[in-house]
Amino acid sequence: MSKFETVIGLEVHVQLKTKTKIFCSCSTEFQSPPNTNICPICSGYPGVLPVFNQRALELAIRVCLALRCRINNRIYFERKNYFYPDLPKGYQISQYKMPLGENGFLEVSSGKKIRINRVHLEEDAGKSVHKNKYSLVDFNRTGIPLLEIVSEPDIATPVEAADYLSCLKMILQYIGASDCDMEKGLLRCDANISLKQTEDKVLGTRVELKNMNTFKGVRDALGYEAARQEKVLERREKVYQETRLWDGNKGATAVMRTKEEACDYRYFPEPDLLDFFVPQEFIEKAEMYVKELPLEKKKRFIEEYKLIDSEVDVIISNIWLAEFFESVVKVYSKPKEISNWIIGPFLEQVNNLASDFNLVKISAQNFAKIIKYFSQGKLNNITAKRALSLVITTDEDADEVIEKEGLRQVSGEDELSGFVEEVIVANPKPASDYLEGKLSAIMFLVGQVMKKTRGKANPKVVRTILERRLKNEK
Amino acid sequence: MAEKKLIEYVANLARVNITEKEADALGQQLEHILEYIDKLKEVNVDGVEPMRGLHLETNIFRQDEVVPFNNREDILINAPSREDGYFKIPQVIE
Amino acid sequence: MKDLFNLTGVEIAKAIKNGDLKEEAVYSSFKARIDKIDSSLNSFVQTYEKPVKSEGESRLSGVPIAVKDNICVKGKAITCSSKILSSHIAVYDATVVKKLKQAGLQIIGTTNMDEFAFGSSTENSCYGATKNPWDYTKVPGGSSGGSAAAVGARLAPFALGSDTGGSIRQPACFCGVVGFKPTYGRVSRYGLVAFASSLDQIGPITTNFVDCAYLLNIICGADDFDSTSSRISTGDFTKELNDDIENIKIGVPRQYFSEGLMLPVKEAVEEAINTFRKKKAKIIEIDLPHTEYAVAVYYIIASSEASSNLQRFDGIKYGVRQNAASLKEVYTHSRQQGFGEEAKRRIFLGTHSLSSGYYDAYYVKALKVRRLIKQDFDKAFSEVDVILTPTSPTPAFGMGAKSQDPLSMYLSDIYTISANLAGAPAVSFPCGFTKDNLPIGVQLIGKEFDEATLIRLGFSYQNCTEFHKRIPNI
Repeated sequence: MSKFETVIGLEVHVQLKTKTKIFCSCSTEFQSPPNTNICPICSGYPGVLPVFNQRALELAIRVCLALRCRINNRIYFERKNYFYPDLPKGYQISQYKMPLGENGFLEVSSGKKIRINRVHLEEDAGKSVHKNKYSLVDFNRTGIPLLEIVSEPDIATPVEAADYLSCLKMILQYIGASDCDMEKGLLRCDANISLKQTEDKVLGTRVELKNMNTFKGVRDALGYEAARQEKVLERREKVYQETRLWDGNKGATAVMRTKEEACDYRYFPEPDLLDFFVPQEFIEKAEMYVKELPLEKKKRFIEEYKLIDSEVDVIISNIWLAEFFESVVKVYSKPKEISNWIIGPFLEQVNNLASDFNLVKISAQNFAKIIKYFSQGKLNNITAKRALSLVITTDEDADEVIEKEGLRQVSGEDELSGFVEEVIVANPKPASDYLEGKLSAIMFLVGQVMKKTRGKANPKVVRTILERRLKNEK
Repeated sequence: MAEKKLIEYVANLARVNITEKEADALGQQLEHILEYIDKLKEVNVDGVEPMRGLHLETNIFRQDEVVPFNNREDILINAPSREDGYFKIPQVIE
Repeated sequence: MKDLFNLTGVEIAKAIKNGDLKEEAVYSSFKARIDKIDSSLNSFVQTYEKPVKSEGESRLSGVPIAVKDNICVKGKAITCSSKILSSHIAVYDATVVKKLKQAGLQIIGTTNMDEFAFGSSTENSCYGATKNPWDYTKVPGGSSGGSAAAVGARLAPFALGSDTGGSIRQPACFCGVVGFKPTYGRVSRYGLVAFASSLDQIGPITTNFVDCAYLLNIICGADDFDSTSSRISTGDFTKELNDDIENIKIGVPRQYFSEGLMLPVKEAVEEAINTFRKKKAKIIEIDLPHTEYAVAVYYIIASSEASSNLQRFDGIKYGVRQNAASLKEVYTHSRQQGFGEEAKRRIFLGTHSLSSGYYDAYYVKALKVRRLIKQDFDKAFSEVDVILTPTSPTPAFGMGAKSQDPLSMYLSDIYTISANLAGAPAVSFPCGFTKDNLPIGVQLIGKEFDEATLIRLGFSYQNCTEFHKRIPNI
């Protein structure tokens, strides 16, 4: 066994889910053509001034509360000065001495609490595209609100680091603060890692790791780096304080800059912005989102509603969805059915609405009605989905819509046998195929009846009539 | 000479290239100015809070509503060099 | 009717309204006068063939106005008299420019200045020095020397300047006109290229207090694009054009009448005090004990903020780029070639003051002493309504007299700097002439947001004196 302990701290940047940038009214839309979401303010033009996006603060407060941080009542921004082409002002507006949140913790799957040192707001930089002999700069991302979440060096293994990230992601998505998509760069992670002898009190020299763009990257990079440092120490050599970049293709880290080259950022309070006193009503509003965090909620859902792990993960992926689920359960106590409907047709239709829950207007009662009619056979799979799609953004009464659109399922044999007759006459080939033992041909015939009835027929009943009718013929 | 090192350090931070001659002149002038500024040492500021700006009011917010800037082409036209809607710059060496 | 160039702005507006003057003719007359005189005075950077205006209306409609070359006029060049911005076109209107347009004024061009407003003589300009209209061998003051000289020479009825440490008042003093710096936050800074964000303020330069009040009415007010602009309502300053100043308490700080104050200036200012006394204002001697530290505090804070504000001028997204092999050299060469000597001095001083190891001794210390200076003013204003001082220890000095000695140049702002540090409104207006016919100015400093009392006192003073009516013989 190794005589070294690994000590890891993570510095995570997440993009807050706002419509506009943190200090100007440009859109935050992902993958717009280069330099289309820009204005004089985020392009660092002479004479412009920042004005703080209230939504960014509201979301940041939610995160601080979810991470059980102490929120500083009075906050201010500072300038971090350095030159880089993707930083048009030559400084980044960030927080330094007085971050929004401090001293919190995040509980990971094992139940261990990883302490959070600080949570602060800042603006994102732009993006550089590197060509063969030159580079190109795009300011679309410049000024998008970021939250920097810095953990204490409480993480003991690369696996735990990855788990910390997925728990963090689950919380941030759940409270609607960020979509946390690592592929899109909505969640970025730097790490610092050092090794120490188990009995040592002081930490070893730490190395900062960057460029780990996936959860796997984080785990692999930390694993590689722990092993590398261990070898260095076993050779009785020194680990240098430096920044190393993870190269996923090579599966190795390499030096990016040494401590001597470290920057002197000349932080000072941003004079273009006033202090902010965090309003009590912002905190009260945010508290509603963090009363029960996803891990606790998950345990409760599994126990109370007898759902399975993977189902609950979907339902608690977002607080709105979780609360909607529970409000449907209140009026129709069949959690399993509801869960199936939410995870299936409901989310499918929400996806068609660009996953914007704000557009969903259907009430729990109305949704429950549709599920109930389905289970009673009043609606079939097709008509139930159709009813849902008609009321999801309007909350028009399901009964009225079913009536108006004639969606009620037809199950009466008398009403259906006429259609069956017509279909058999019109499709002699599949009918004879079936009789010759190609049983699947009957599905085609069922489909034809469904078509004739515009989806309203009860497919089970149709099938029964068809089978009986064809066998009799034989 | 310590002064010279300081000027070099600051020149690098501020990304301003300076000639030997400029460095000497700047060094002397800054020394002269800093000597004058040193008079602040005699002021007793025990218990005085730094005055960060004037802070006339607080909590000036903007609502989260998109207002597109309609002249973004003008921003690109002002660029010394551009390509395909990007700002073009010498290679960024990491 | 008087010669057009002897009319005040308000008189011109009235004549246009009555039909005695045509707006277009007024513009072309001033334009012709500029073309004739400015080749030797050099107060303008550019004049517009056609006025920048819109359909708005006010009591100053149709009057031409010049703006300092650090205020953005959409579609027009803006250079701050710096090589690094030559060829830069403003892509948006400064808020004050929007307001001027909405008020129907005709913007006639932009005026020369010390590069990025760094200076007190308008000698630090890439377009060459502006001269003093009263004596071409003398400087017009700075940094708004172009605006003050243009108004002094009646090339425009009035102009806008910006004031960070006296840059409106000191040139107004040297050129024999009224230069008003409103309370910090009274006028939006949006579109004013920042020098020192916590000190900068735009204000009017006029020949008299009536025009001053009308122009303030137009440019003051809260702005959603400037977080530091005050929401306190401005009221109607023209209501203060009232001769009654009985019992207004005028404080005279003994620290401002000590060594370094030239005798003719001292005598003229004392005579102005007598004039106020005769009009039954109360003269009270006061103490501003930290006055002697103001220049040191100012140069640290202003240069620190400036060094950060100027980081954006890097040859990447606008301005002049010096091509070079590496990115770093593009920065260092663009900035070496683009900035003049004084700009470099301020950048170096500011960068040094904020750098690691010096931050507390310089920057933080300066912020603390700034508070003491502010407290001096708060205390003084608990006893008096306004403070009266000389504007400058000397009248206009000779071209080149101080350009080799930065510190002596800095010290020429000794009486104006404190008002910026305290955020207080202040105005300089003519109160006499030297035997060489150079104007002498007196300064009034008011309580925060009490521009009204300054206007009242100034109007009353000009009601019984003739200094503001003298015009240089050019």
